[in-house]
Order: sequence, then C-alpha cells, then structure tokens
Amino acid sequence: MRATVKGRVAVFHPQGFLDGNNAPSFLTIDDIKATEGLNIDMLLVSLKKVIFFNKNGLDVFIRLLISIRNQKHIAVGLCDYDSAKFKTIQTFYGSTLNFSLFRTEKIAELFVSTNKNDSKTVLLYNDDPSQRSAMAIELFDYGHNPVIAQSKKEFEEKKQSPDLYYAVIEDTYLGLFGQKVATRVTGNAIIYTIGNFLDAEIGNTFNIAYHNNSLNVGFRLFIFDAYKVVSMNVHALNFFTKLASSGAEYNASICFVGLTFEKTPKSFKNDLEDAGIMFFNQMEDILKNKELLRELGGSSATSSKNVRSLTKGLINELSGLIDATVSTLAMMTNAKAIKESMNIQLLEIKDSKNQYASSIGFYGDLDGMIILVFPKNIAKKACELLIGEATDNEELILDSLAEFVNIIGGRAKTLLSEKKNRVDITLPRTYMDVDSLMEMAQNKKGVQVNLSFEGSHFTFFLTR
Amino acid sequence: MLHVVTQEKILLYIQNIPPAPTIVKQTLDYVRVGDLTKAAKCAEEDPALKLYLKTLVNRPIYGFRNEVSDLSQIFSILGVSTAQQILYNYLMSLLAPKAWGLFSLDNHSFYDLQASLSRKWEKILKHLQLLNHDTESAITLLPASIIVCDALFTEHKSEVEQLRAVKALDYNTILYRLSKLSLFDVCTEIGTKWEMSPAISRIVHAASGVDSTIAGNEKILAQWMHLLLFYELSQSTYVSAGLNEFVEFQIEFVQDIYESFMQVVGNDESNS
Repeated sequence: MRATVKGRVAVFHPQGFLDGNNAPSFLTIDDIKATEGLNIDMLLVSLKKVIFFNKNGLDVFIRLLISIRNQKHIAVGLCDYDSAKFKTIQTFYGSTLNFSLFRTEKIAELFVSTNKNDSKTVLLYNDDPSQRSAMAIELFDYGHNPVIAQSKKEFEEKKQSPDLYYAVIEDTYLGLFGQKVATRVTGNAIIYTIGNFLDAEIGNTFNIAYHNNSLNVGFRLFIFDAYKVVSMNVHALNFFTKLASSGAEYNASICFVGLTFEKTPKSFKNDLEDAGIMFFNQMEDILKNKELLRELGGSSATSSKNVRSLTKGLINELSGLIDATVSTLAMMTNAKAIKESMNIQLLEIKDSKNQYASSIGFYGDLDGMIILVFPKNIAKKACELLIGEATDNEELILDSLAEFVNIIGGRAKTLLSEKKNRVDITLPRTYMDVDSLMEMAQNKKGVQVNLSFEGSHFTFFLTR
Repeated sequence: MLHVVTQEKILLYIQNIPPAPTIVKQTLDYVRVGDLTKAAKCAEEDPALKLYLKTLVNRPIYGFRNEVSDLSQIFSILGVSTAQQILYNYLMSLLAPKAWGLFSLDNHSFYDLQASLSRKWEKILKHLQLLNHDTESAITLLPASIIVCDALFTEHKSEVEQLRAVKALDYNTILYRLSKLSLFDVCTEIGTKWEMSPAISRIVHAASGVDSTIAGNEKILAQWMHLLLFYELSQSTYVSAGLNEFVEFQIEFVQDIYESFMQVVGNDESNS
C-alpha cells in the first residue's frame, strides 16, 4: 500500500480489519522505501475505513512511522477516528504514546506548512492543560487563530456554533511534536518560527526542501520570527549565512524579527548582516510597510531578476513533459488534446478571463517549472474525477487543481528518473486569475505549447 | 493518446463476456429443478467442469476427509443450493484471466477466495435464516467485480497509480467517475447474461454499500455481503494481492451488524 500525498502530508488508508497477521502485508519493502523517499512534513495512518484494529496491527504501522520520524524529523501519527477509537488507542499505548493523534485529516493539516496564505479560526479543547497549550502554540506558529476553551463546559457551549470555526479540535494529541521549524505564509512572505537555543540541530529541524520549493515557485521574502530565540551558537550562524548565500541567486530577502543579542555574541549580527540578512524589532515593521515589502520582494510573487534561460537538457525532455501533461489531462477528462502551436517566447495568454492557472517546479539534476493555464470549464472537468461531482466552489476547484498538477509533477518526476535525471518536485501553486500568474512569470522565457481540448484552448509553458 | 476507461470500452467488455456454455447451462437447469442425478450425468460430458468440481470439492476448505471423485456423489453431497453455487463459481472461473495483471493473484488464490466466501456466506445465511437457492448463489457473482476490475485497469496500472498517489480513490470510484458505470453495474450485466436471478444481481449490486434504494432482506444481505467481502479482503493473501483497495469500504453501511458478524464469522474462524 502506498501513502497518498496531499501538500506535505502523506496518509496511509488501510481498509477493513487490521491485526498482527495482516498488517505486515499492507507494507511491502517497496512501500517502505517509497515512503522513506517522500518529501513530506507529516506521515499519518487513517483509521477512517478500519472497522477493527488491535495493538499488534497498529504496531506494524507505528514502527514504520517512528522509524521515518527518526530519519526525517517529521510529525507522525494516526488520524480519522471517533471518540471510542481514541480512547482505545490511548489505552493501548498509555504513557508510552509518543506519536500524534488527530481526530481528522483536516485537523492534522493545520499542523503543517502550506504555501497558502489561509489563516483558520479553530476551536480547541484538551483536558490536559499542557497539551492544550502545546497545540495552541503550534497552531499559532502555523499562522492559525486558535480559540482555546479553558473548560469542558466552555468547550461544549462554543461547540454549539460550529459555523464560527474551520475545525473543532478535540480527541487530539500531540506526541513529540515541534520537530520541524513551524512555517506559515502571509501574503507573499514566508514566516518561519524559531525559538530557544539555536545550534547545529537547526539543520535538521529547518525544512530546507520547503524553503527551496518556495524559492522555486517565486517566494522572495523569508522572515524568521525569532522572538522566542534565547541565543544561537556558531553552527546556527553558519547555517543562516549559508541560507542567505543560497537565496542570493533568487534575489531572496531574509529577515530576522525580534531577535535580541543579550545572550548571543554581537559580532554574529555583523556576520549575518554581511551575508545580507536584515533585522527588525517587530513583525509589523515589515508587514505593514508596503514600500519596504515591495523592496524586499514580499508584495508579489515576483520572478527572479536574473532571468534564467532554458537548457539543452530541459529542451530534450520537453516532449515527454508535454506528453505527461496531455495524457494526465486526457485521463482526467476522457477528452483528446490537439497540439496547435509551439514557440519559444514569453508567456502570452490571449483570453486571460475565465482561466485558472497553476504551476509546479522541479529541481535536482534538471530544474524548471511547468505552468498550465486552463479555461475554467476544462479545469472543472479535470477536477470532477478528484472531487466526484461537478462544482462551482472555486476553493474546492483550486485545491483539486493543485492535486491535478501534482499528478503531472509526479509523472514528470517518473519520466525524468527513467532517463537517470533525479529531481524533486515543488508544492503545486494555483492562481485564481491569470494576472497573478503573470506577475510571477512576466520575464520568463520558455516554450509555450498551445493545445486545444474539445474546442477550448489550454496552455502549457515550460520555463526556468 | 491515452484514455483510461470509457463507457464504450466497458460496453465492449460486457459484449465479449461469453454466454454460459451449453453443458453448464443444462446442468444448472437440472440442479434448479432438483434433479441432481441428471445434473451429474450432464456435467460428466464437460471434462473441464468435471475436473473443476473434483478439485474444488476436495480442497481443504470444504472439509471432506476422503477424496470425493464420483460426480453423482459430489452432487448429492453438495445438495441443490451448493451445487448451483459451485456451478456459478465455475462460470466465474471461466471469466477469470489466465494471468492477473492488476492484482497479484493466481487462480488458486482466486478459487480459495471463492470457496472461502461461499462457505462463510452459507453460515451467514443460516444465521439470518435466509438460506435459499438464490441467496446462496448470490455470493458467486461478487468476485466478478474483481475480475472486471483487473480486466479494465491492467493496461492503465501506472496512470491509476499516479492518480492514487494524490487522492485515496478506489478502483470502483475511479471507474464510476470516468464512465458512470461501476464494477457492480458490470456484475449485474454478467448476472443477466448468465441468466442468474435478478434478486442475485440486486443483492450483489447493493453489496457495493452505496445503493440507497435497497431495503428489507436484500439490504440485510447486502450489508453482510459487504462486510464479508472486506473481512476476506483483509486477509494477508488478498492484502498482498492489492485487493484491499479495489472498492471503498462503507463502514457506516455495516456498523450495526458488526458485532453479530463477528459472532457468526469470527467464531467460525476461530473454531475452524
């Protein structure tokens, strides 16, 4: 069984009965290797479709989860259960419970980084005050707005108005959490929350893959929320200076907010400034200063000033990448695509109204970005297979579009690996209108392929 | 150009399903009217059927201590309902592929699945006091969904894997969303082609767990069949074969029969 990956969360979905006899059959050696190779922040096992489980059955999955957590410093746990199952799991593991429990997958997703700027208001309650606080801090660090009920009575009262909350968090437990630096997106800036003593461990807890993804999809402003940092040592200093140097190619700006130098050598500040890192006292100093935001690259997901040209290696893979896109679209819509034209040019979209756009980057032996511009009707049709019905809910369509683009990214990755090119793919990004895509892609030269799908035009654009 | 599964392709598949061979049909007719002696004589004329019956009946799952080789003996041991059930199982085995592509199955493990489903189904029907010729045979049509799934998706295995890498969709849901036909719709067509009772097709169709129109005893049978299917598909052999993911387990559909099911099937397992 393979885990399903949505954003940076991978989930196993076993069905039926789960015991010590059959559980090992769910995970072959190939499945374990594939899971180890995933670029994720959270790995879960969903119990939604499991009618019976015992401890031996769960243990098989838990061993894999713990092993992957030890390797990758990611959050792991179980999700999608009712109160009875929650109590059973707690009874099974008691004080040795060292993985997380999320009542739903939707709740789990609140505790990981996304590349979307969507702060959610959630109602939170836990009998254990330390769990309650830990969850509230994590949620806040991931950019959400937790409403914390201090008593069961208050929780039950507030729960009567579910429409006020994106999710109601109960029967949830954070086990060995906070292994990764929390990340949130505000506008076009990425905010990382760091704290305590920063040492060599920052290299493990900071999600460099996510950071590279963000650079590749056009983010330029990265802010370290450092109010909770007590001090840093030379290893952490080296880490941040290297991070600043590697971001220079993309004209990225890195800022620290709230960092005091009471217990950190003052000379470190000079070293960090020499590497191009800027310091601010308050988050508002950046986020509320529009001029500064624009200067730092946080007012829009702008393209790099250094326009990067297409490489021969990338051009060689062009037909395969187009085929991966077209065949995925054909699979999802059961419609045929006809190639109309192909040119090397700047991205040009004729009828920018009524179109959705999306992009996904890949990096490694080859790097580039596939941009897709769909007429809304084609996008809706392509997403019907994932959603299960026709819908006009734009948020749902864009979410499914991201999954759809992820499939294309996955196929491109497979295709390139067949030719011994090892690449990773970025998180997909979707755009509600073409204008916001054009802000990012305006200077980028690439190969534009115009395709026709059942009379509608569809644009494939490959660039770097 | 790749198209996964279209309605046209499914209709073509249904069109190509062979009708029941004449001898099997005649044998079934004799069984249905209760003439097991004539049924045995008729079955003698088809060596493949004869071999199938002998092999199947002598598998450990049927629990006979001594080898049974005479067809009239086999038919009289089986009785009318079970004989009809086994003949349908034979028809199903004719539909099974020589080499499985999507699922890591071989024909032995498929026959074992058929036999195990049949045996447990009989227990269930006795418990529910709903045992009759049609209800007993209903279970034989269920594995057709596995055969159809393998046939339709084998050549698109990698594309479907890519799709399933981002969304937890079972094969039945993918098929329905692509073509508006489910695996269980195709089973119904197979049942019609093999002149099975419409009640059988209705029960198996509802065993998908998503039919909202079914009621009464047919709903009860569909619930038990759905849970039995997942009980079997949770066995190590079938999990390894990839069968655990071929249809979606509708946990709410079977929640209220779970305790009784475990008493009937779970106890049976621990005693066997």
